[in-house]
Amino acid sequence: MDPLSVCINTQTPLLQFSPGAEGSTPLWEIESDLSKLQEGVDYRFSPGGVTRMVYPLARRLIADGTWREVHWISLNPNAPATVKLPGITLHNVVIGRDRMGGYGKAKEAIWTTVHGLSEPKLSGNLFWTEDYGEYTYYNRTTAELILALDRDVDFDAFYIHDFQQLPIGHMLGTLKPKLFRWHIPFDPEKIPDQWRALMSTYLNAYDVVVVSSDRYLASLKRFGHQGRVQRLYPYVDPAEYEHPGPDETRVTAEKKGIDPHDLVVLVVARMDPAKGQDRAIASVARLAGKFPQLKLVLAGNGSFSSARGGLGLSKSETWRSHLEETARSLGVTERVVFTGHVSQHELDCLYERCAFTVLPSTNEGFGLVVVESWLHRKPALVTDRAGVAELIENGANGLLFDPDDPGALDRQMRRLLRDRGGLRARLTENGFRTARRCSIDAALPAEAQLVGQVLEA
Amino acid sequence: MVDLVAFFLPLIYFGVIVALTALFSYIASLAIWGLMRRSNPQVTAAAQRLGVVTVWLVGIVIAVQELGVSVEVLLLVIALLGIAGIVALRQPLENFGAKYFADVYSPFKIGDTIRVGDQTGKVIELNAMSTVILSEDAHLIALPNSMFLRLSVVNLTPLAWKELIVPISLPGSVDLPLFESDMMKVLSKMRLRLDRRYPPVFTTKARSTQTADLVLTVMVRRPEDRDAVLAEVNVRLTEAIEKARSGGSRSPPTTEPVSSRS
Repeated sequence: MDPLSVCINTQTPLLQFSPGAEGSTPLWEIESDLSKLQEGVDYRFSPGGVTRMVYPLARRLIADGTWREVHWISLNPNAPATVKLPGITLHNVVIGRDRMGGYGKAKEAIWTTVHGLSEPKLSGNLFWTEDYGEYTYYNRTTAELILALDRDVDFDAFYIHDFQQLPIGHMLGTLKPKLFRWHIPFDPEKIPDQWRALMSTYLNAYDVVVVSSDRYLASLKRFGHQGRVQRLYPYVDPAEYEHPGPDETRVTAEKKGIDPHDLVVLVVARMDPAKGQDRAIASVARLAGKFPQLKLVLAGNGSFSSARGGLGLSKSETWRSHLEETARSLGVTERVVFTGHVSQHELDCLYERCAFTVLPSTNEGFGLVVVESWLHRKPALVTDRAGVAELIENGANGLLFDPDDPGALDRQMRRLLRDRGGLRARLTENGFRTARRCSIDAALPAEAQLVGQVLEA
Repeated sequence: MVDLVAFFLPLIYFGVIVALTALFSYIASLAIWGLMRRSNPQVTAAAQRLGVVTVWLVGIVIAVQELGVSVEVLLLVIALLGIAGIVALRQPLENFGAKYFADVYSPFKIGDTIRVGDQTGKVIELNAMSTVILSEDAHLIALPNSMFLRLSVVNLTPLAWKELIVPISLPGSVDLPLFESDMMKVLSKMRLRLDRRYPPVFTTKARSTQTADLVLTVMVRRPEDRDAVLAEVNVRLTEAIEKARSGGSRSPPTTEPVSSRS
């Protein structure tokens, strides 16, 4: 097969640009050459799956000649119209601030409903609201840009990512292959009746829908989806993770307020109610008496939705305030560290520094941070509501718990905190081996084959 | 001097008549747009085109007469050619015309199961001449579009009675995201008359730099609301097209067709 020209579409952009100081012109408006801007200062790679999974996929498939070029379209109101990377052109979609609020509210309503954080009855009327009109506006604007690019580039395939972009396939109206990757949980019981017809219409516009676990594959079929569905575990490129030495780790830890004698439990997640950090704080509060050196480190800030350079929603601030209040009311303020956004190097240091990690989400599409934990040879305690849970044999390569059972996380944390080494060693070794199933080397053939099969079909 | 006046006066009359014709055609277009606001925008556009062409035809005939040219023979030749064309191409024209009206008013779409006369099948193709259905025994049956004007069509698809299908052809100058989001907001205000399990959806049929061909599907709550909802949707469509064409600010319609079928 000839190398392919592929269009990737994600809501979250690969690069987020600094909005600059209040009242000043951001540097990216003056200097469009990325090589002249400073990473970490003028721009940064978005945290999460976009950078950890989609970007390595594009780079590797371009490098091995499977893909010729990638045009990557994202919502990015504070960015140059296009940014060139080797083989990849980023196209940034801009919609007016007046529309951004409605769009943000609509997609948050979808997010919270699908994650079971709001009653289906309450959000059933979403598609009949003005906010949904703005959601449509954003998606149609994106679809129009993709179609305009397609007239120039003549794409071979469209790879659309995540629920925010679900209508795109239907809006494109092209017969060319369209793949859709559904990254968040999928539970038909949480989908309001009023959403089903439209969601089916949108899902059916794709040649294949890719989900992150066998559970969601079964759910999608139970939902009544007749089209092709494929399960591909999300993945990362292990080569992109550092293993900092003790000195670097100590310096970063001290900078984040971690003392040398602290017994660190690490939660890596953005500030979002679905991530369940409140459960981890409550567990630490209950275990604090028995384990006086216990310290909970919450790494991460808001997503692109909350970033000042992104959608500017206040969700992360609200949730962080709630968590701070929770820690205060439980008397564990000194035991909870909020790091905010951390660089990849700092994150690697925190992984190295911790005793183990916890993924306490109430619902989680997959949970790539568990894979990261394994790659850093740290045991992972994982909510059984995460897609990655189906890769875990309880007690063998991870410890599972029910996030709604307040004692379950306590019990699993206690097991590890009291462990003399046997359990920890087993979880670490087996976890590291399991991580191979979620490495880009394991996923590349499957991704390439998937696109190839859709093209040939 | 006299010769010059005699030479230029008819030309001046010609120019004045042409200018007046342009003015009348604009007024005619406005009047038709106002009178047909409750019709499908495509039908309104066609009527506008017809009105404008008619005014121009009359205007040009009058103007040419002012130049001293006899137009009777020319008109006779055109009329005879027209009649000959209609007689020779009666069947295709009938099908083509039927397709035009079927697009706007037919109660079925691709994917529906219909019965026409003694033929039953799933609609798999709608072309200028015929509607192709796939029978249960996997036979392809081409039904001439003119049949749909003569025979009753039964749509056997469940919930088909709820469905209003409105084809929309937008010129490239229309801001499509603005148009669609405005229509979604407008339709949300009509939700008491619509089935909330089936939100309105715009399906892209074709998109080029010149046109965007879409189909709007809305589902009514009660059968007796179909006419009223369709009329209201048509009015709102026309307004949204005008608004999106002018980039968000209201402006009167122009003599250009509101929408045109490619």
